[in-house]
Amino acid sequence: MPNVQSFSSLRARSYVFRLPLFTRLMVSAIVVLWLVGIQSAWDLRKWGCLDTERDELFHRTDAYRMNTFPLIHLNLLHALLNLLALTPLLERFESEYGTLTSAAMFFGPLTTIPAIAYVVLERVIFRVNTPVMGASMWVFLLLSVEAMRTYKINPYFIIGTVQVPTWTTPLVMAFVTAALIPSTSFLGHLCGICTGYLFGLGYLKFTAPPEKILRWIEGKLNLLGRLPHYPRRSLWAAARSCRRRPPYISLLLIVVGVAWLFMLPLNDYSRRTYISENALLPGQVHTYFGGSDQNVLRAYRHEVGALENKTNTEVNDKLEHMFRSMGLKVGRQNYTYTTSGNTVAGENVYAILQAPRGDATEAIVLVAAWRNVKGEFNRNGLAVALALTRYFKRWSLWSKDIILVVPPDSRAGTQAWVDAYHDSHDSRRVADLPIKSGALQGALAIDYPQEERFEGVHIVYDGINGQLPNLDLINSVTNIASGQMGMGSSIQHMFHHNDQYRDRLTCMLRGMVNQGLGHAVGPHSSFIPYHVDAITIQPVGQGWHDEMGLGRLVEGTFRSLNNLLEHLHQSFFFYLLMQKERFVSIGTYLPSAMLIAANFTITAIALWVKTGYAPKTKETKDVKEKKEGTDSKKVDQKTEETPAAVERELYLPLSLVTGCQFLGFVPLFVFNHAPASLLAPLFVVVTLLSLVLPHALSFFLVTTYKPTHQQYQLITSFFLLLLGMFLSTLATLNFSLAFLVGLLATPLTFVRPFPKLPAAGYAYSALLSVLNPGVVVLSAAVAATTLQGSSGLGLGVVGVTPWEAVQKTGSSRRSIRLNRVAPPHLGANLRMPSL
Amino acid sequence: MPKDKMSFQATAGTAGLFVVAAALRLLLFTAFPGLPNLLTGRVEISTPVTSFKRLQEGLFLYNHNVSPYDGGVYHQAPLLLPLFSLLPDPSTYPIFTYILYTLVDLLSANALYKIAESGEGGASRLYSSPRKEKRWSGYVVAALFLFNPFTIATCIGRPTSVFTTCAILHAVAKALSGNIFTSMLSLSFAAYLSMYPLLLLPPMVILAYDRTYNPKAPKSLVQLAGMCTLAVGVSLSLLFLSSYALTGSWEFLSSTYGTQLTLTDLTPNAGLWWYFFTEMFDSFRSFFLGVFWLHLSSYTPALTIRLRQQPLAVITLLLGIFAIFKPYPSIADTSLFLSLVPCFRHVFPLLRYSFVTASVVLYGTFLGPAFYHLWVYAGSGNANFFYAITLVWSLGLSLLVSDLAFAVLRDEWEVERPEMRGKEIRQI
Repeated sequence: MPNVQSFSSLRARSYVFRLPLFTRLMVSAIVVLWLVGIQSAWDLRKWGCLDTERDELFHRTDAYRMNTFPLIHLNLLHALLNLLALTPLLERFESEYGTLTSAAMFFGPLTTIPAIAYVVLERVIFRVNTPVMGASMWVFLLLSVEAMRTYKINPYFIIGTVQVPTWTTPLVMAFVTAALIPSTSFLGHLCGICTGYLFGLGYLKFTAPPEKILRWIEGKLNLLGRLPHYPRRSLWAAARSCRRRPPYISLLLIVVGVAWLFMLPLNDYSRRTYISENALLPGQVHTYFGGSDQNVLRAYRHEVGALENKTNTEVNDKLEHMFRSMGLKVGRQNYTYTTSGNTVAGENVYAILQAPRGDATEAIVLVAAWRNVKGEFNRNGLAVALALTRYFKRWSLWSKDIILVVPPDSRAGTQAWVDAYHDSHDSRRVADLPIKSGALQGALAIDYPQEERFEGVHIVYDGINGQLPNLDLINSVTNIASGQMGMGSSIQHMFHHNDQYRDRLTCMLRGMVNQGLGHAVGPHSSFIPYHVDAITIQPVGQGWHDEMGLGRLVEGTFRSLNNLLEHLHQSFFFYLLMQKERFVSIGTYLPSAMLIAANFTITAIALWVKTGYAPKTKETKDVKEKKEGTDSKKVDQKTEETPAAVERELYLPLSLVTGCQFLGFVPLFVFNHAPASLLAPLFVVVTLLSLVLPHALSFFLVTTYKPTHQQYQLITSFFLLLLGMFLSTLATLNFSLAFLVGLLATPLTFVRPFPKLPAAGYAYSALLSVLNPGVVVLSAAVAATTLQGSSGLGLGVVGVTPWEAVQKTGSSRRSIRLNRVAPPHLGANLRMPSL
Repeated sequence: MPKDKMSFQATAGTAGLFVVAAALRLLLFTAFPGLPNLLTGRVEISTPVTSFKRLQEGLFLYNHNVSPYDGGVYHQAPLLLPLFSLLPDPSTYPIFTYILYTLVDLLSANALYKIAESGEGGASRLYSSPRKEKRWSGYVVAALFLFNPFTIATCIGRPTSVFTTCAILHAVAKALSGNIFTSMLSLSFAAYLSMYPLLLLPPMVILAYDRTYNPKAPKSLVQLAGMCTLAVGVSLSLLFLSSYALTGSWEFLSSTYGTQLTLTDLTPNAGLWWYFFTEMFDSFRSFFLGVFWLHLSSYTPALTIRLRQQPLAVITLLLGIFAIFKPYPSIADTSLFLSLVPCFRHVFPLLRYSFVTASVVLYGTFLGPAFYHLWVYAGSGNANFFYAITLVWSLGLSLLVSDLAFAVLRDEWEVERPEMRGKEIRQI
């Protein structure tokens, strides 16, 4: 285990701290100049590069270029590679020749000689002009100096039977570099190498300042005493900072994770959507819904309008009559749900249009709920659906059955219907379906309560628990709407999306919040857990499109779905949409949540390692360090007795962590069984408890058990380990929820005792309380309530803990999937009892 | 007198433990009526050769006088059928099944208690660890077994592997107490139920030999091995004969052991075989079946010879290896392995990767069901997701096995080289 901690980071760090002055200066100059070069107002590169075209190069005004060009780089990679190569070489050179000599040489002959050689070669011999910059010339120069030195000691190395002189290595490297890395100046490198050879052979020694003068300067100015970084930093300081590094790594991961998310809307990270399933062919067919069908639609609208205030049963009687007159098979289904003390009862009615060219193995669903999610009367939506069904009946091209479902509401009704369709309902509360068709291939819900003509359609696609429909379905509808119908389409209530960064980010964040909350946002949501890709189409805005346009849109989509040879599977199931035609796929966005989860894991591992190995004994430290290094007296006393590995005391941490984790089931149970009226107060109570409990627990722990410092660290370690694990598991199921919870939990990484600053401890626990997910949801709900005047609290209660979401997700497994995916004998086994 | 009192207290404590464990199981069974069926369906718990659901199918056929192996679903030993047909129908009176499985768990825990109390983990006949003072009592070891989430999940999922677990643990316990023939009978039962425990015979013989060794009248190991093999052979033959009498044909041999040997059922599970053989071309199948089985069985002689001095360690390590590499592993096998690991409390300080192992196994535990969900239910993942996690899971377990083997060997080595104690060593 100590290998993990002290691999070479300690040495690397102490190495960096021991870099001599000139090297240090050069490195920082390169970094600073690169930073300066980021801005676009002043072209640093043009100012500093070795531009051979300029005639004044050898004049006073432009001669500075001879010295600046090695310090300026094209881009980050260029700078980084050169820095990596240059630093050790330059450090070696400097430690051999001294800081002053190095400065004199590198501001003088070792830079200007190759530069002049390069310019002369370029202008006089090759008559071309390639401006150069970058420290690679120095790298090759120093390499050849080294090579010459090696050559003197060890003239040949042997490859096979061939003896290769060692001085050729820089040349080989220059060739390789020229071949492998594009746009490197081979000529420039060559100039550097030649100068290096000359220097290495001693022909340039005369340019070096005489030893005496250097001594004199150093002595006069007392450079050794005054300049920093001549003395070595103590090793202990390096070791100590190494021990404290994991928090910085964690912090870095969090920052990168969050920054990653904010990079996603940029063009480079998101992609344009495309239709992945070739069979869909969206918008490739003529749609014929129109003409006299408009009269039919008006008639249906009139009939539906007349039913507005009738009871559910009366409505369904009438609808059944209508369906039968169309020549469809009709089924009705009663359901009664009791959730949270409320009873939701109703009756679904649905009709099956049997496919003229199909064998009833596959079906597409059209849902027109009597009332939409907001409770508005879906008059036009139902009329369109009825007219469309009647129209569909006339066509002979359907290869999949079409099912029109009319539930009385948008949540419970569809849920009951889908559950019963897949035989995973509780038949005491939800009736069986009298007639069925084949496997559902897709579902489309129409939500059209407004009376006026519309401007475009709003596509709602979020499913329960953050599951999403296949991206191809959304793409098809967008494609048909904008390409064929000429109507706008929008997502996530972004009706005026200008496709700029800000709007993309807002759209994406709204999508994430919806996904994270995981609640049903439309009649389609219930379908998605059954692996039925579904969306809701809502006409929005004031425009010139009428119901017939919506009908044609649905017709076009159904024709596309009708083409499918197999279930939608080609495109993405995990994506974030930031505009209707722009998305990021899981491979691009998942790292941000995973980085945040990884930050917990890294700190957990670091804490674990720390608990196993006590800090070194104190002989090596000076007195001042000792005072700082003791966080807690106990640790040091312990470590003096046992300097090496320490046995960990696991019982208290393990039982505490297990106990606290299982405590999470309490709110889950309570929220799942409490009546609806109590949910909001209960949520407040649970939140308050979750605020008080940690303090009470810590008080209890401190007073009764008096845990050691090691035990504190172990407790933290285990909690963070579990947190990281839950979050990374959750991220595969519901990315947004994992990200949001992870983000709120980030301060937990940095929790540690503040023995010297009690105020900091209090401030930190206050921060933790503020970022408690419960508090955040509560304040968001309160903010929403005050802003909109609507009841936001109900919304807030939906996604309380990751536990709950996990539980919900876990409970949505369905037997029909098992029948289809598991080997056939399991299916046989399931049917056995009925033999 | 004080010793009696102590043992009484220990018995009382153990009884309390068993009562609590049984109560917990029965509570889980009754408070969450959907849980048993849910867990029965989990591929991590029920494999084709242990599934309770398949047992119901076999039982149904058996009770209707059809050969239980006709449907091609039932792959378990025939003698389980009369046992379960004695119980009332589990769909109407599930409580009897629950009680049976709870009892089996308690019996296993009791055997484990004896194993831990024998102190064999730290001090065998030929080897006594310098760290042997640091050990857990049987109470703790039994508690760790009974409250291990894997054990509880297995009990509630009701796979028939719990009987194998119980038989193996009893075989070990009886070998430790010197009842060689009971031990061999128990091992034969385990082998009859699941076949793979037969590979435990060599270390079991050595364990029995060491525990019955009398320095005044030393017996020959070869002789004892012959006797043990004979005993196992005879009892297995009797079991086979009674199975034949029960089902009326030898069909059960190919349906139960044949399935394990040739892997005809490729239902996903926590092991490594199914995916490999799903992808396999038929022409290579027999070759790789041979390779996989050879690999699995090659550990027995190797470990038995290398760890001759510590037969219990051999058995533990072998159980860990079986939990990873056997054809249809499940978390039941893992829980069996994990139940014996605490007997080696004294080498825990020598474990190098305990944290990594624990994290990897935990990650596997949580990500496995999630990825299975994505594959089978949500449809947004595929088989590779789940297989990747079974790889992680196996990696975690093999880390534990190799780490434990390292720790046991290091412990031995430090006896030979006392000057190296506590020093870091590196393999070159």
